[in-house]
Amino acid sequence: MHKKKILICDDDEGIIDVLEMIMEEVGHEVITVNDSMKVQEIINKEQPDLLILDLWMPRLSGQDVLRQLRNHSDNSNLRVIVISASRDGEQIATAAGADQFIAKPFDLGNIIESVNALLN
Amino acid sequence: MDTAKNKEFELSGNTGASNIQLMTMALDASNSGVIITDHTQPDNPIIYCNKAFETITGYSRKEIIGHNCRFLQAQDRDQKERETLARCIAEGEECRVEIRNYRKNGDLFWNELYMAPVKNTAGEITNFIGIQNDVTWRKNAEHDLRQQKVVMEQKIKERTRALKESEAFLSSIIETVREGLLVLDPDFNVISANYHFLRTFKVSLEETLGRQLYDLGNHQWDIPKLRDLLIKILPTNNPVVDFEVEHDFPHIGRKLMLLNAYRVEFEGQFKDQILLAIEDITDRREIENRKDDFLSIASHELRTPLTTIKGYVQLLARAMPENASEKFLSTFGKVSVYVERLNTLIGELLDVSRIQTGNMELHMARFDFDTMIAEAVDGMRATVPAHNITLKGKTGASIIADESHIAQVVTNLLSNAIKYAPNSKQIEVNIANVSEYVKVSVKDFGLGMSPEDRKKVFERFYRGVEIQKKFPGMGIGLYICDQIIKNHNGTLWVESEIGKGSVFSFTLPKAGKEEHA
Repeated sequence: MHKKKILICDDDEGIIDVLEMIMEEVGHEVITVNDSMKVQEIINKEQPDLLILDLWMPRLSGQDVLRQLRNHSDNSNLRVIVISASRDGEQIATAAGADQFIAKPFDLGNIIESVNALLN
Repeated sequence: MDTAKNKEFELSGNTGASNIQLMTMALDASNSGVIITDHTQPDNPIIYCNKAFETITGYSRKEIIGHNCRFLQAQDRDQKERETLARCIAEGEECRVEIRNYRKNGDLFWNELYMAPVKNTAGEITNFIGIQNDVTWRKNAEHDLRQQKVVMEQKIKERTRALKESEAFLSSIIETVREGLLVLDPDFNVISANYHFLRTFKVSLEETLGRQLYDLGNHQWDIPKLRDLLIKILPTNNPVVDFEVEHDFPHIGRKLMLLNAYRVEFEGQFKDQILLAIEDITDRREIENRKDDFLSIASHELRTPLTTIKGYVQLLARAMPENASEKFLSTFGKVSVYVERLNTLIGELLDVSRIQTGNMELHMARFDFDTMIAEAVDGMRATVPAHNITLKGKTGASIIADESHIAQVVTNLLSNAIKYAPNSKQIEVNIANVSEYVKVSVKDFGLGMSPEDRKKVFERFYRGVEIQKKFPGMGIGLYICDQIIKNHNGTLWVESEIGKGSVFSFTLPKAGKEEHA
């Protein structure tokens, strides 16, 4: 499998750290951002293959980020996995156009599987 | 009375007796005592008395004649009536008095005395005539009657005061309760309204009393469902319980009111009146909603670092050196177990929050009931191999329910049985068909519960007093179980005795909730 570029957006540094470690471990290039306002800008600049996105974030919610991405950007087809501990997370993620939803706390095996499935 | 012609009577006729003799005999035959005094002599002495006078006073004629009548008063000389007598004697008038006199033996008797002057042709008073009647019995009766009246008045006063006190007591309660109270007649007109009602709705007594409930305010109570319920109260005694009315009320705006209505009963008999209690639960509901929000946010926030911990643990597991010691591996394994336990606890918090907001989603599907139970029991056996969990009975039923939720209930009941029976390793699970339901019972031989705990055990965050000391936890497991079973239209209950153990049982409709809703 080719090395892919994965963007991780979460306001929690611990979660970013864990996801970054596991994605690098399985051989992907990882970019991280903890400020959801900057996600669109990074996508435009870095052209990642996949976005792992949290929902509940200060400033701009993952839901808004995703809607913005799907409706008003040149990267509307970007693969997106939404991760959230919110109870209605799956419903929100699906409605906003996520390709996959994974509940927190997630299983790393699960994350790897989903990432690989979406990238192939 | 015209007595002028008495002198002209010729009574004797041919009998031979003189008029005087006849008159004297007549006087002696009288029941009234009669005396004549001579006013021309000093101190007005008695010059005649009849037999009855002797009988009444107990004195004999010789002790009477020549004396002034005052001897009858003995030592009792301060009576007002004496002044009347003295004045009449001085002014030559007749009078009638009731005066206390004393017999020779000292006994009191009430003397009704009529006294009249006798005048000669020149108009001068020569004599006084006194007619006496013993009216002691009448005086006594009158006295008794007065006494009786005083006692009665006293009693009435006491009763009235007691009644007023109890009325004041009741009305102070009615006016103090923090619940609006209305009393309605059978046509739902307001007979009375308490202070809290007036204050809650910012209305006056005048615009409330005598009006029909449905006409009050901007017809806020004119709700078909409420009308139906109220109509049934008097004939059937079915109270209205916790009827919620959300309405934009005049003066006070949008509020949520909780209505309870009962038939008024007095000494076992019902009166044609309805007591309607109205409680403003707007704030309470608001707080409950906020608590739900809080629980949702708290769960979310707690899960975030937990996700990180779980991630690091899994990263470490992937990087586990091949030569890691047994002790290291087992310690590491325990970290994962406790992370999962913490996740379950947080999940319960979320479950509670979901239940409260009515957001518990049921994924109803058909499944084999006995298999599900067996799997739940096996799962628990694997967790606590030292316990002896027996499974008895089978239903052969294929039921429609949310399998994962029901499995959660069974697991929860089993883990409670293990947790609260620290000195017993025996747990019995029974399953059976009961009519259109399946029934599950989980029996332990542990601490048991007091009746108070039994009542509250299914409440949110309730923990038995003794339990709290020995087994820390959040106390929401049974609440969730109860809510899950209720959402399936089944029932969950407990039978328990302190020191002997508890039996938790639940029933589930096999056909799913729709058919039973």
